[in-house]
Amino acid sequence: MHRVFQNKTAIFLFVFPGMLLFALTFLAPIVLSGYYSFTETVGPGTKVTMVGWENYANLLFHDPKFWLALRNAVLLGIGFIVIQHPICIFFAVLLDRIGGKAEKVFRTIFFIPCVISVVVISKMWLSLLDPTFGLLNKVLDVLGLDMLKHAWLGESSTALGSMLFILIWAGFGWGLLFYYAGVKGIPEDLYEAASLDGASGLKLHLRITVPLLSPVIAVQVTLAMITALKQMETVFLTTNGGPGDSTQFLAVYLYNKAFSASQYGYANAISILFVIVCLIATYLSNRFIRSDATEY
Amino acid sequence: MRTKGKTGIWIFFLIVAFLQLFPLVWLVDFSFNTSADFYSDSILKWPSSPQWQNYVNAWVDGKFMKYFFNSLFVSAVTIVLTVVLSLTLAYAFTRMQWKLRPLFYSIILLGIMIPIHATLLPNFAIFKELGLTNSYLGLILPYTAVSVPLGTFMLTGFLKGIPKAMEESALMDGCSIYRIVFQIIAPLLMPALVTVIVTTFLNCWNEFIMASTFLSKDALKTLPFSVMNFAGQYSSDYGSQFAVMVLTSIPAIVIYALFNEQITKGVTAGAVKG
Repeated sequence: MHRVFQNKTAIFLFVFPGMLLFALTFLAPIVLSGYYSFTETVGPGTKVTMVGWENYANLLFHDPKFWLALRNAVLLGIGFIVIQHPICIFFAVLLDRIGGKAEKVFRTIFFIPCVISVVVISKMWLSLLDPTFGLLNKVLDVLGLDMLKHAWLGESSTALGSMLFILIWAGFGWGLLFYYAGVKGIPEDLYEAASLDGASGLKLHLRITVPLLSPVIAVQVTLAMITALKQMETVFLTTNGGPGDSTQFLAVYLYNKAFSASQYGYANAISILFVIVCLIATYLSNRFIRSDATEY
Repeated sequence: MRTKGKTGIWIFFLIVAFLQLFPLVWLVDFSFNTSADFYSDSILKWPSSPQWQNYVNAWVDGKFMKYFFNSLFVSAVTIVLTVVLSLTLAYAFTRMQWKLRPLFYSIILLGIMIPIHATLLPNFAIFKELGLTNSYLGLILPYTAVSVPLGTFMLTGFLKGIPKAMEESALMDGCSIYRIVFQIIAPLLMPALVTVIVTTFLNCWNEFIMASTFLSKDALKTLPFSVMNFAGQYSSDYGSQFAVMVLTSIPAIVIYALFNEQITKGVTAGAVKG
């Protein structure tokens, strides 16, 4: 190994700027958040009273909203894994099969919602699901299915499901792209060998594609859980957690606690627990699934 | 048999693509209609006279040009910083030999797992103290800090797949380590760099929650605020609201149309190499 690769100055110059920025705008704030989480204050720059573990005790033992937000995140994550991901894998396989120009065209089309900003997506779906002029209810009218009409985002029974649907619509392209990349990495001759053995169609894919995709699936499932936990903007801009906390999520909750309810200390405690939950979720989903996907 | 199957997929894909993009078609269609038209029974409505006024409202009152340039500036600076920092970090993590390497790599990866929302409250306090709220830097710094971990992760994966032979022969020729990174490695990493650039662009361009927390001064606001302004100002003028949504989506769609091959290639290459 060449001496140059141990050059201390070079290593410092390569690593320091990036690490410094990351530490100052990502890690230091979380430490500060830790400090605020032990206080009671209405906002930065105002009077601060130390309250010890009180915020955490209240959160964990007396705040059903916190647990509701967690439950919603878990439900959303399961929704992603059970609904979105199988669809993505299915489309990735079909996309690979169709080949030629169509492969490129459809790949491009399916990804389009992913480049649209979250603000536009949220406002657009608010209109699409609007009870009076929304597209969905109009379509149900035309199909003669009026009894299925809902104020989709305005009723607590349908709000979380509608949210899942919006997020799947918006995120489908990314999932598809990752699985498509995985499918492309499977050597063609494996399929030939398997079809000589008499496997075909669904069985072929269940036996070859899904097992060989398992490293990709492992990463994607982890990402799905994290995405569900981190869910914020779409909820914030459509239901803001409502109606009646039916779409409450940790990030929305902490934001509203800090900036609407002026419970800044309490909000920071949520923030810290939020970080811990994300780290635990990442660790667990890595542990559970990645038995043979060590390279990730 | 095979071609028959392909026709089936074609038809299926066409139907799905139609359903998937229909909300966008609906958005564009009604952006040319008057608010009264929203309450008609028809699913799509050919405007009796296209309401170009909606787009004039969007352009003028949505302050499209001002916000567009703010977005452009913030995204451009963030992209440059992200590329340079991720490239040097990724190089140090894959090629350089140093003791703390695994530790620092794990720390950087925390940036992918920890939600940015957990940094919102404390950063708001810090930026307020430092006078960074209502400044471009107040967006550029956190945007870069969020983009660097992902960029580093992608580039590291890619770098592992590049043989060291070229760098070793460049060293023989007396090339410095800095020239190796920027003149030999950077071009080799082009597909991965383009992916980093495009994902960073999309993230900054569409980012909303940090911008709305850290900015209150109108002169600095970014494109998503066009839509937000309208929700209040034109609350019952749905046509104009839709127009501003269409208008603000165009730049990102154009960028995507230009670079979509590279996005796919970058993701594909990165994923296959793992």
